[in-house]
Amino acid sequence: MSEPILHVRGLTAGYGQIEVLHGLDFTVADGEIVVILGANGAGKTTTMRAISGMIARTGDVVFQGSSIGKAKPDAVLRAGISQVPQGRGTFTDLSVEDNLRAGAYAMKGSIAADLDRWYDVFPRLAERRDQRAGQLSGGEQQMLAIARAMMNRPKLLLCDEPSLGLAPIITQDLFRILGELRDEMGMALLVVEQNAGLSLQLADRAYVLETGNIVATGTGDELLADDTVKEAYLGGVG
Amino acid sequence: MSLFIERMFNGLAEGSIYALLALALVVIFRSTGQLNFAQGEIGTLCAFFASTFTLSGWPVWLSILVAMVIGFVIAALVERVVVRPIEERNPGAVIVALIGVFLAVNQLSAMFWGVDARGLPSVFPNDENAFFKIGDATIRYERLGIIAVLAVMVLLLFLLFNYTKIGLAMRAVANNQESSNLVGIRVGNILILGWGLAGAIGALAATLLAPSAALSGTLMLGPFLLASVAAVLGGLDSPFGAVVGGITIGLLKAFLIGYVDFLAEMLFPVMLVVLLAVLLFRPSGLFGTEKVERV
Repeated sequence: MSEPILHVRGLTAGYGQIEVLHGLDFTVADGEIVVILGANGAGKTTTMRAISGMIARTGDVVFQGSSIGKAKPDAVLRAGISQVPQGRGTFTDLSVEDNLRAGAYAMKGSIAADLDRWYDVFPRLAERRDQRAGQLSGGEQQMLAIARAMMNRPKLLLCDEPSLGLAPIITQDLFRILGELRDEMGMALLVVEQNAGLSLQLADRAYVLETGNIVATGTGDELLADDTVKEAYLGGVG
Repeated sequence: MSLFIERMFNGLAEGSIYALLALALVVIFRSTGQLNFAQGEIGTLCAFFASTFTLSGWPVWLSILVAMVIGFVIAALVERVVVRPIEERNPGAVIVALIGVFLAVNQLSAMFWGVDARGLPSVFPNDENAFFKIGDATIRYERLGIIAVLAVMVLLLFLLFNYTKIGLAMRAVANNQESSNLVGIRVGNILILGWGLAGAIGALAATLLAPSAALSGTLMLGPFLLASVAAVLGGLDSPFGAVVGGITIGLLKAFLIGYVDFLAEMLFPVMLVVLLAVLLFRPSGLFGTEKVERV
């Protein structure tokens, strides 16, 4: 296997005195889709925020050969990592188009081609480009959050529970789009999820996160067949 | 009729000053969710600076510009040194700290400039012949000038907010700081910039008002209260609303004093009624956004 695009070693992070992550080690290869599976409170969002520099962390995060373990959010972003935050985090008072422009805040030069491209991928956003983002449906907002993250032309996209609050059919659609994005853009994806069924089908590899520790790892298919995973995340041994 | 026109222009000019102050309040409220109680006092302090500059022989326009820069720096410092550290620990306490800044700035200007009222020349022609006539109505150039300043400021802010990257960042930060961080905006810098901008606008309002009022420690006290009502009336998060609110309050004041004798003495109680009515019947103001968000 070639050198991974993201290499996380001994990552610890938390809030104030409370340590949430107790030393995570995992990798994402270039062009790979990796899912971190975890229940509520396992530390999924904390993992995302620790990588993107939103919270203090120790241990090391190496991205494309250079350490970003101490970098601030804007430096992580400029290095090529975009994040789709939990709960979508769209700018609800801003228009759809302004959301996309804000996504390209760190980009130099013209972004007209990027706008066209994501309006092409998400025609619903094109129809609603002048509407306030807060008026979009949950699924549309998730599309907007992804498009906004893509405006930064990332090499690694972090998705924090994209399925949260979405109907199963929309989640399915969303994961299909994420898979296509990887294929077309050749970027890597790190998705944290508790929806094991759909996310493991998408994943090349997956890790299981429990109370701040990684307790299992394997390919998406291996974990789908794993009895403990079935019991914990797929509603009993089936 | 001519009296009506005169009163209208007086109201528009005075309303323009309230509108500028209300704009400053709104710029800060949008980004930080705080009502800057010290806004008026920072303006007064800057007007004192401007008066000192003119006394030392600087042209009035230059004095005002430098006073605006001072307003920018003071307000930016207040954000960085007072507001942000306190907000991280206890958001509810910020308003108390701002009242503290209000008192501190007020005392400082009394310390350095004394308590006697001074003058500040107008940047517009305002000798006894500086007027023109519409019919029998006398319109002073200074009034028109103040209205024009408001118009220019509104235009500049509109361009800033809607057509520049910095403006987009300011709107993004006002809406969602966490996501602003994630798209690479340095939120702290944008907050400092927003407060500084408001400080400069507040200084402009004070230096426009000072020539026709006495420049003393209480210069901005009344106008600040009226501008707060104007901002609430227009909608605390709407720059457009701040302008409409400011102009409305200015006209209301001019016509009340002009036509309704017994209310003239009761301006602030009347404003309290306006404030209560807005809060009861339209809490987000005329143009404020009611939070619409589907999940």
